[in-house]
Amino acid sequence: MMKYLRLLLISFVIVVALPTKADIKFSGFGSIIAGKTLGTVDDPFNPGQKRDEILTADFYDVGQYDNDITFKAESIFALQAVVDLGDKLSATAQLVAKGVDDFEPEFDWYYLTYRATDSLTLMAGRRNIPMYYFSEYSEVGYAYPWMRPPSNLYWWQITQFNGVNAMYSFDSGDYSNTVTLFYGNEYSRDNTEMGYYEVLFGGESSTVVDEFWTDITGVNWNISGDIFDLRFVYFQHDMERTRHFIDTTSDQLNTSQKFYGFGGSIDLNPFTVLFDWNFVTRDDGLGTEYPTYLISLVYNIDDYQPYIAYSKADHERTKLKIDDLEEHYIMSYGVRYNFLPNASFKVQYDHFVDQGHEPSGWAYHGDSDTISLGVDFVF
Amino acid sequence: MLCLFKSAKRIVVLGLSIISLIVINQAFAEVAIIVHPSNSSSFDKATIKKIFLGKSKSFSNGRAAILLSATPKDPITEEFNKKVIGKSSNQVNAYWSKMIFTGKGTPPQEMASTSEIIAAISANPDAIGYMDASAATSAVKVVATF
Repeated sequence: MMKYLRLLLISFVIVVALPTKADIKFSGFGSIIAGKTLGTVDDPFNPGQKRDEILTADFYDVGQYDNDITFKAESIFALQAVVDLGDKLSATAQLVAKGVDDFEPEFDWYYLTYRATDSLTLMAGRRNIPMYYFSEYSEVGYAYPWMRPPSNLYWWQITQFNGVNAMYSFDSGDYSNTVTLFYGNEYSRDNTEMGYYEVLFGGESSTVVDEFWTDITGVNWNISGDIFDLRFVYFQHDMERTRHFIDTTSDQLNTSQKFYGFGGSIDLNPFTVLFDWNFVTRDDGLGTEYPTYLISLVYNIDDYQPYIAYSKADHERTKLKIDDLEEHYIMSYGVRYNFLPNASFKVQYDHFVDQGHEPSGWAYHGDSDTISLGVDFVF
Repeated sequence: MLCLFKSAKRIVVLGLSIISLIVINQAFAEVAIIVHPSNSSSFDKATIKKIFLGKSKSFSNGRAAILLSATPKDPITEEFNKKVIGKSSNQVNAYWSKMIFTGKGTPPQEMASTSEIIAAISANPDAIGYMDASAATSAVKVVATF
């Protein structure tokens, strides 16, 4: 079904684009990345046994590294088409092929843009939720120094939504501001990440998990000056998670979540400081909270950008007074080398430390040391 | 001993020449910001920077700005990015890749040569570009140099 829909969309774009000679612009981005973990750890699910270290480099798509070198965990190729439909209206589609999906192309983004005025832009369609500072372009490796935004923070099972955005830009003194209101829904049937955890904890009797985020309503405020770019975000959404069991029964979690975030970049030539602080609360009666943060220092020296990054994630239940259910940090060291105006080579070393509460089974990630290297490009 | 002294001297001379070459190279070109002769909008460095990062979409005369750039291979691009935008070309490219793929902006249109930039700007009252100041002609108006 999806394949037919995809074909239909491609034909639509071609039919619209060619005979009328509508203005259509193609651009794209990609990353070819190889990596592996370097050792073994005690297998939390099979006491007394060892398994390969695993680094989940992409939680949403479950792109993982183990001891075997793979290109599949993070490599990606994306083509963007923007069709100019008139004075102020355009249609954008991003066709994305990922290694984790065996490079089967999918339309990840498709939306209409209406530039009502110089300062007001409306968008409707499918886009990433502007959750974290790097969320909206987390797959465009060329746009940031590291191999990836820290995966232990960019860990949500939902990253995209169907909805509307209204962006309003204005100046305050020497500062440029953009305030964005957004609203939408995401119905993820057979969610990849939740399905992965079902297999991890349930083994062969694992089931399909549907994850629905509805009434995603939020605002973010971006303010930038000569040497800084800061972003505040707040959004909330209802959440419905359904686990379908083999005997056709199911159970359901109904709750809601609130996201608070503050992130940005500060240019202190030749250094750049990047940071992101986030706090998520869930109204589930347990007082579930997810405090996370990232701090990174990048040194810009000609075409080289050596960097370090520290990212820390926590998971707490304040009403049960149990701390440290799932807790981990990643210390990353790497260098980006810009060898062409539109391409960069990166190599990164990640030291992941699982500080999860072992007796309750929350230390399932396991420690890992990972080396990854690759090329990011745009065209 | 004398031989050692000579080679040390040679190394110093070589070193100084390399340094002076680098210094000369860094002071290589003056960047001129150019618009159509009829464009009487006001331009200061902050305004130009905002326009070229897509943060301001119009000139002070109210007309939407059409941005033109030289190719990444033209050394004037690196000069412009360093002196006006205050970032390396790679950082500017990274900025635009984030704007393009989130649908929030369109980078300046690349022109193949200086003469093409002059031709395009002299033909369009809303275009703005940059070039090596020494090559500017009366077909365009220089509103700032850096």
